[in-house]
Amino acid sequence: MTSLQHYLVLAGALFSVGAWGVLARRNIIMVVMSLELMFNAVNIALVAFSNYSSAGAGRGEVFVFFVLAIAAAEVAVGLAIGIAMYRLREKLDVDELDELKG
Amino acid sequence: MQFSTPVFYIVAALVIIPAVLMVMFRNLIYSAIAMIACFIGVAAVFVTLNAELLAASQLLIYVGAISILILFAIMLTRSRSGAVNLFFHRQAWMALPAAAALAVVLGAVLGTARFSAGDTPKNPATGNLASLLFNQYAFPFELASLVLLAAIIGTVLLAKKESRP
Repeated sequence: MTSLQHYLVLAGALFSVGAWGVLARRNIIMVVMSLELMFNAVNIALVAFSNYSSAGAGRGEVFVFFVLAIAAAEVAVGLAIGIAMYRLREKLDVDELDELKG
Repeated sequence: MQFSTPVFYIVAALVIIPAVLMVMFRNLIYSAIAMIACFIGVAAVFVTLNAELLAASQLLIYVGAISILILFAIMLTRSRSGAVNLFFHRQAWMALPAAAALAVVLGAVLGTARFSAGDTPKNPATGNLASLLFNQYAFPFELASLVLLAAIIGTVLLAKKESRP
């Protein structure tokens, strides 16, 4: 029988893999993709709580719908920034964006 | 519906293995395909959590829309940026211990914490979800459409040919 903890540990593991991707990869598209993994990890945790909680009764799933909408907006804007960056400097390395460095 | 523990471990492997592969592939297209596999695995997790509507939404929005958007972005920017940017950068050796430490802390806390939620699934019905979404959460629902509109306008402005004055 799977318990709530199983799903929460799975969500934590997926979140950590996403954080690893954000930290280790410098390509802006790769960073956006790793962020999507982290969004999915949070969604798993929310749906797990929604399924196992008697008081919550589906509220976590409503929250996941909003996360889906915001994730779609986030990925569109993030990729547009990537394309604008590629157009300006023909590179996608986020380390290149250091004009504001003191 | 009730799913047994081996089913959970198979589904969890379908999520975690493509995710790790996604981070490790050097070719961005391979990474995107691993990411799609991971999203399908997450949809399977939603099915085991009795959230069929969310599993369908996951397939439509993540596997259908977001993956295609990412593949388009890779192909639009791929031509000259080539393989150089795909390699791990010089600080990458710190990223893995940091992420592993995060995983250990999250696993220790989430694996031992006891929540009031209990250990038996309550299987909330999809109809309940609809009444919540369109009664109690109707205003945030409409607000989400405004956010999406703002994102569309912002994306067009950012990606337009003559973005600099």
